[in-house]
Amino acid sequence: MLRKYLIYVPVFTVLLVSCTETSAVPETELIQDKPLFYQPDNFPMPVYDMSKNPVTEAGFELGKKIFYDGKLSRDGTISCAECHAQSYAFTHHGHTLSHGIDNRIGTRNAPPIQNTAFMRSFFWDGGVFDLDLFPIAPITNPVEMDEELGNVLKKLRADPAYTARFKEAYGSEEITTERFLKALSQFMNALISDNSKYDKYIRKETGGEMSADELEGLALFKQKCSSCHQEPLFSDEKFHNNGLDISFRDIDYGRYNITGERQDRYTFKTPSLRNIAFTAPYMHDGRFNTLEDVLNHYQNDMSYSLNLDPVFFYGDNKRGIEMTDDEKSKIILFLKTLSDKEFITDKRFAAPN
Amino acid sequence: MKSKFNYLIISLLLIFFISSCEKTDEIKPGDKNSVFIEFDNRLGAEEIVLGTTKGTNSTSEDFTITRLNYFISNIKLMSATGETVSFPDQYSLVKESDTNSQVIELKDVPAGDYNHLMYTIGVDSIHSVSDVSLRTGVLDPAGYGDDNMYWSWNMGYIFFKMEGNSSKVNVNGSTKYELHIGGFGGKDAPTPNNIRNLELHMNQTATVRRDIAPDVHVIFDVAKVFDGTKKVSLVANPVIHNPKLGIDISENYAEAFMIDHVHLD
Repeated sequence: MLRKYLIYVPVFTVLLVSCTETSAVPETELIQDKPLFYQPDNFPMPVYDMSKNPVTEAGFELGKKIFYDGKLSRDGTISCAECHAQSYAFTHHGHTLSHGIDNRIGTRNAPPIQNTAFMRSFFWDGGVFDLDLFPIAPITNPVEMDEELGNVLKKLRADPAYTARFKEAYGSEEITTERFLKALSQFMNALISDNSKYDKYIRKETGGEMSADELEGLALFKQKCSSCHQEPLFSDEKFHNNGLDISFRDIDYGRYNITGERQDRYTFKTPSLRNIAFTAPYMHDGRFNTLEDVLNHYQNDMSYSLNLDPVFFYGDNKRGIEMTDDEKSKIILFLKTLSDKEFITDKRFAAPN
Repeated sequence: MKSKFNYLIISLLLIFFISSCEKTDEIKPGDKNSVFIEFDNRLGAEEIVLGTTKGTNSTSEDFTITRLNYFISNIKLMSATGETVSFPDQYSLVKESDTNSQVIELKDVPAGDYNHLMYTIGVDSIHSVSDVSLRTGVLDPAGYGDDNMYWSWNMGYIFFKMEGNSSKVNVNGSTKYELHIGGFGGKDAPTPNNIRNLELHMNQTATVRRDIAPDVHVIFDVAKVFDGTKKVSLVANPVIHNPKLGIDISENYAEAFMIDHVHLD
């Protein structure tokens, strides 16, 4: 572990140095006195190899331009931001299942884009394990952007605004698969959310003062939820069956679609709970509208299905998480301390003019 | 006496021919040439015409073929004495629709007598998880147009793709079948592995000399995709986009390649 840490020390030194050296930072960026990528004190080391694709000012700006551009879709109407809006922690607010091109409906609820550099896998079923290759999925999915990756590159090559940006970011105008995807990764990796009340409490910073109920909620959370929603990212990045009624929608086998292993049927990746108050509705198919609905499910609505995670059995063959209504409301109070308003209002991440 | 003289002349001529043959057989250090591997897709003995050629499998399902693509990689040649030449960084996508793609040139093969051909159908796990910077040429996910060979949702390449129509198939009113086979074994968790490694023996030797670049003619018999060790039914699974469902098919096609002949050009 120490050795791993030491390897990163020079990398971060380089990153920090290079960031302080960028004197040509536009004024809006100076509002936030922080580099585009940094290591939050209370986070684990990144999973993403930052040395192969460090976040640069020009790369980030290019990635942001791509992220907010409808050119990624077949008919020019759908950008990444369609389903990943900053004000809702980069989710599709109010949509149980995400809507794409021609108003076609997807099969899952769009998760937030945050702290991507620290994540091992992506999608509810973990089918993608390399952030760089992630964007190909929504671009080519017929119910999302319904476009071919090669076509997107062609459109960007024909646009002088893009060739100029690629030159700024990479030194030449050439637009390749690698450059395109790595610019998007730079933008996504800069989307660090580490300034919730909870973070400030952990780091003993001002603004981190928790109320007695919130602290009680945190203690209850640690007892009842954190075996899967592990701090500080609030996910163990593993796949679990949390007792959702499988007949609620068309059957979604979840992780089984990737591994083909029977024990993975109906299991989904533990989502992070950071910014959870902004990202309703909940679960892989958005079936619950409120945090109360979610906790009611865990308290007493859990259905038995194949592979129900053993963590949910307690007492005399009961299913769910044992908690009182008072405990539930305190846990919800705690969950709201995971909201990072700076993240959802940070102008650097907003759509370019 | 005269016949004895004739024998002598014939013997001398023979010696001359044999020794002249030996002369071209001589291998000087550094001699090398190309070896061409030609993939000839057939249905039984028949040449395939996309969309036209009709087959019937042993479960009496008729079928046509509208697309037929597969990745060939990690090619190796081995001589009778066990010397091996490898081409680890050469990835090829053989497409029935593109004649040029059906001939793979192995460059700078050291002169020798090769009688084994080994290759992988698919893309090895290292290149299946490699950084995007290494995904160039046929491994570039942006390079496929509407004939996609990359799974974005379950990261990895489609090793083998065969599509067509069957009057027995009915998927929401469509007679189209799609067999997309991939799955490299997984990165963080084991997933189905459809990487298939083949070793084919040549009855003729592929002789590589400074002036001989042999052409190894490989036949792939599509009929065996359905009727190999496993019986595959189109009606049972008309649309396969799933590594696990593809296992029977990859086992079948791994047995469907044979070396028909070798040209010495």
